[in-house]
Amino acid sequence: MSATGRGAPARSATADREIVISRVIDAPRELVFDAFTEVRHLSRWWGPDGFTTSTRAFEFRVGGEWDFVMHGPDGTDYAEWISWTEIVRPERIAMLHGESRGDPNAFESVVTFEPDGATTRIEMRTVFPTKELRNEAIEKYHAIEGGQQTLSSLASYAAELLGRGAEG
Amino acid sequence: MARAATTSDVFNAIAEPQRREILVLLRAGERPVTELAGELGMTQPRASKHLRVLRAVGLVRDRKAGRQRMYGLDARGLRPVHEWAGGFELFWNESFDRLDAYVQDLKQARQEE
Repeated sequence: MSATGRGAPARSATADREIVISRVIDAPRELVFDAFTEVRHLSRWWGPDGFTTSTRAFEFRVGGEWDFVMHGPDGTDYAEWISWTEIVRPERIAMLHGESRGDPNAFESVVTFEPDGATTRIEMRTVFPTKELRNEAIEKYHAIEGGQQTLSSLASYAAELLGRGAEG
Repeated sequence: MARAATTSDVFNAIAEPQRREILVLLRAGERPVTELAGELGMTQPRASKHLRVLRAVGLVRDRKAGRQRMYGLDARGLRPVHEWAGGFELFWNESFDRLDAYVQDLKQARQEE
């Protein structure tokens, strides 16, 4: 057990409008961090299987932007825009993620890199401005992941009910 | 998957095909247990048992209507299912799978340098 190890994070005040995804990667922290800092690296792994990216502009610095198009395996294109708001090598990267510059629905993700022995634990915490925007993002990504039909009819029914708000 | 126990309870509950069939039937509206059992070709005690499990994880709620009990879907319990199927987590989990594979390549390339 590493000294930097810690238990599950406490349920935060923003729990109902955030999504947290974590992963342990068998590589040193500097290397994992590097994979987030250059377009030649990012373009090799960003997006699910079968997705590719075309970059229009990329400047990895606080205030810099990554302007790109993500191509889905079915040929659909998605405009993507990232702007970095904090870079602490090799510990943390915070970024604003939207469809274009000035996107009012842009949301912030903070990726933290924690060493654990020879491995690195990354955690991506995305906080949406509102619960509604979180649900919209879930819908949008549901569309992006169009091939994933598992439970989708129940899932969209739930969305419908949840969208209708308080009942009964 | 670092998730609360209640979440996995929901997924356990819907892992059973007959319980999923009940949920699909309930999409159309509330039903008494006798109708559900009849439609799915199972005994009433079996249908009741499934309904109890679904109710315990917050997927189904019931109310008394005259002499019978009506069962309906509870959208709140479906939230984690929706989020899972909703794609955002899936998107990033698949991206992180690719990141992991790519970083292994990088690691090897740097060792060979």
